[in-house]
Amino acid sequence: MAYSEKLIDHYENPRNIGSLDKNAEDVGTGLVGAPACGDVMKLQIKVGADGLIEDAKFKTFGCGSAIASSSLVTEWVKGKTIDEAETIKNTDIAKHLALPPVKIHCSVLAEDAIKAAIADYRAKAAQKFAKPDDNEVERQEAVAE
Amino acid sequence: MDHFARLGVPAALDLEPAVLDKAYFALQRRWHPDRFVGKPAEERARASTEAAALNDAYRTLKDPLARAVYLAGLKGVELPGDGKTIDDPELLMEAMESREALHDATTIEAIDSLADQARQQSQQALTALGSLFLRDDKPAIRKALLRLRYLDKFAEEAQGRRANLVKKVGIANG
Repeated sequence: MAYSEKLIDHYENPRNIGSLDKNAEDVGTGLVGAPACGDVMKLQIKVGADGLIEDAKFKTFGCGSAIASSSLVTEWVKGKTIDEAETIKNTDIAKHLALPPVKIHCSVLAEDAIKAAIADYRAKAAQKFAKPDDNEVERQEAVAE
Repeated sequence: MDHFARLGVPAALDLEPAVLDKAYFALQRRWHPDRFVGKPAEERARASTEAAALNDAYRTLKDPLARAVYLAGLKGVELPGDGKTIDDPELLMEAMESREALHDATTIEAIDSLADQARQQSQQALTALGSLFLRDDKPAIRKALLRLRYLDKFAEEAQGRRANLVKKVGIANG
């Protein structure tokens, strides 16, 4: 089976491998897995004050197609708003990389990973704004210490 | 007919390999194509169907994890199939960390030590499954089986990485 040049390029020169601080307020982390094939994928986004994704990192243990799919997604989401990033579909990933049918599930994993990262970021943002008073108290305590 | 019934063995997690082997080989002899030479086509077809089903049953029940997954399926615990994803953070964090450790392991000793650890974890998880089945705790059974899948994958990866390293060392020394 012949793999596309784009796929091989992302596999051999993966973009944005690494980790961001998962505890940081402006970082959303998505951790997903495909138990049938034993793949595990972590995808993280860092959202700037302007609402744009300024950085994205991934770590994937799985086949070449899973690595290429997550590498591509980190490249795509940079500079996008989270709403825009959320519209990325696995079919777009599969088409861009020309994934063979048996590897379509790798693109599903990458779509689920970016969705999970966005959900995590939103949950953190909601928590931050839900209880400003408590946060304020904590911050003051931290300063006092 | 389920695989256990087909082989006439108890539907249990801790099936003795010898018991399973004995049941399989006896039935395999009974349905062996050689015994149906010259018999009517219907009988020959029946024998070959039976033989195939026996092989399938034996293959599934012989492997402890495949057996556990199958038994869980009979109890209505379905595992995600191809293309289905999970997001259990605890489970995936463990899988991610162990794969990172394996990725960072650069000596055969380090790989063996990680593989040993994973083997022990698998053993313990398989043993613990027994009581989960007794309690019929389906969510816990599902989670334990998913964890075992990842441990199994880890073992496979460790083996591959070890083989690569052995090859590399061999080239360096030779």
